[in-house]
Amino acid sequence: MDFIPHDDKTITEMLSIIGVAQLEDLFKDIPKDLIINGLNLPEGLSEPDVLKNLQELGKKNNVYSNSFLGAGCYFHYIPTLVDFVISRSEFYTSYTPYQAEASQGYLQAIYEYQSVISRLTQMDVANASMYDGSTALAEAAIMASIITRKSQVLVLEGVHPEYIEVIKTYCWGQKIELKIVSEEKLESELTQDVAAVLFQSPNFFGDIEDVVVLAKKIKKNASTCLIIQCMTDPTCLGVLKPPGETDVDIFVAEGQSFGISPSFGGPGLGIFAAKSKFLRKIPGRLVGKTKEIDGEREGFLLTLQAREQHIRREKASSNICTNQALCSLSALVYLVSLGKTGLREIATQNIQKAHYVKNRINAIPGYKILNTKPTYNEFIIKCPNIESLIQQCKNHNLLPPLPLSKYYPEMKDIVLVCVTESNSRESIEAFIEALENANTKKEEKS
Amino acid sequence: MVNIIEHEFPSELKYLQTHEWVRIQDNIATVGITDFAQHQLGDIVYVELPEIGMAFDKGSNVAEIESVKAVGELIMPLSGKILEVNTDLADNPESVNSSPYGSGWMVKIELSNKNEINELLSVEAYQEIVEAEKA
Repeated sequence: MDFIPHDDKTITEMLSIIGVAQLEDLFKDIPKDLIINGLNLPEGLSEPDVLKNLQELGKKNNVYSNSFLGAGCYFHYIPTLVDFVISRSEFYTSYTPYQAEASQGYLQAIYEYQSVISRLTQMDVANASMYDGSTALAEAAIMASIITRKSQVLVLEGVHPEYIEVIKTYCWGQKIELKIVSEEKLESELTQDVAAVLFQSPNFFGDIEDVVVLAKKIKKNASTCLIIQCMTDPTCLGVLKPPGETDVDIFVAEGQSFGISPSFGGPGLGIFAAKSKFLRKIPGRLVGKTKEIDGEREGFLLTLQAREQHIRREKASSNICTNQALCSLSALVYLVSLGKTGLREIATQNIQKAHYVKNRINAIPGYKILNTKPTYNEFIIKCPNIESLIQQCKNHNLLPPLPLSKYYPEMKDIVLVCVTESNSRESIEAFIEALENANTKKEEKS
Repeated sequence: MVNIIEHEFPSELKYLQTHEWVRIQDNIATVGITDFAQHQLGDIVYVELPEIGMAFDKGSNVAEIESVKAVGELIMPLSGKILEVNTDLADNPESVNSSPYGSGWMVKIELSNKNEINELLSVEAYQEIVEAEKA
């Protein structure tokens, strides 16, 4: 589509047609005391001066050489192919594909993304994506409430604390009651009033849940309740059993690990997939494949749009009418360029490196690994001196692990460590050294 | 049969102003949407029917009727329990358009309060409502 600017001649002509003397008259309803006359801004800079200015600002950033921080946002290898494909202007600056006849390329890309996610998770249907993992989980909870006509949702401890905050906000708007339960209390809280149980695996503390056993426990106590799993780093699907092979009804994940840079915490990618019986209740966009009426040529289009709020209005389960198109394209390119074997290799390296670090930490006096279940690429450790640990990491130019007291004030001595395939041997040695240097207890320092 | 231009409204049926029709036989009522409603909605693609055995009050929403451009509701004309639903609509939703009073029927109800039948509209009263909406 061409950009058609207004020139002075056109403006004058349009004003005369509608009977307005000058452009300012269109704004005469705005009170005079609210009109701004000039902004207190400095003089404009030339292009080379702007570049120099930004470069100076950029130098203020501390770019760590390696990271041991996870907690929902991860450093992974991103194939150069991803940037190459998404940088094409047809994808990078494209508008939302409501007009199928003008958007076949993007619709095909989204269709392929949906297909890849469906295959990877073994869930029957995946949508075109939501904003991020947290909102995808919140939307899943609302979807479950609508399907079951029940208004209580249980959240198992171990779901990312920020995701819980997001779900609380969404549920408050929909008048759904949210209850956070421990694994021990789960069975007693499972009544016939529960619409869904939400759990995260691998969870915020790194534990991998036995999803098959957990799902069976839920179904036994509350047969109509939906089971919703969320995941913050889905690269683990390279080795773990896919949710489609369990009783999980709705699966959501943060897709940032699939080819999207951590940046400053966003943008994310809300992966959303479900079993086929829920197809007509899934929120968000669905791209489908169809055929010409008068021929055999195939094409792509937005389908099952009667679910969406522009048609269903107040009866819709969600008001979302978009998707993270560019990020879903990144994920698609990431997954197809790695393929099955590549993703398996990445997941294996994550486990191996994380376990290597775990073993090394176990050998340092003063530290204790607290996980009792199997872990993927994250685990929690009790530390003798967290402030010293953080400082030591920075001294070694490493982005430090997360002190859990940020979310759980009672967990004063615990950090959440993340090790991915992107952590080099050198960085791991540096991290171990940082831990060793920081193992004197606070009380001993005078 | 009373004909208004384009639409058919069988005179032996009763109607609601929300465009449902009702056929009553003893204690059983069959319900669907009128020819006017199907025309307004356009091509029906999916009907979400209630579960058998569920009880509803008169006036409540029991089914959702999806067309390509809109979603309509089926309102219970009378209070009762769902006895039967038209499972053919899963594969042939278009019968709501082609035969709204026949193969496009939606639910059969066992009535719990036959007095409510008096509150239903006759074909003439319904016809007036349609005329007003078309104006």
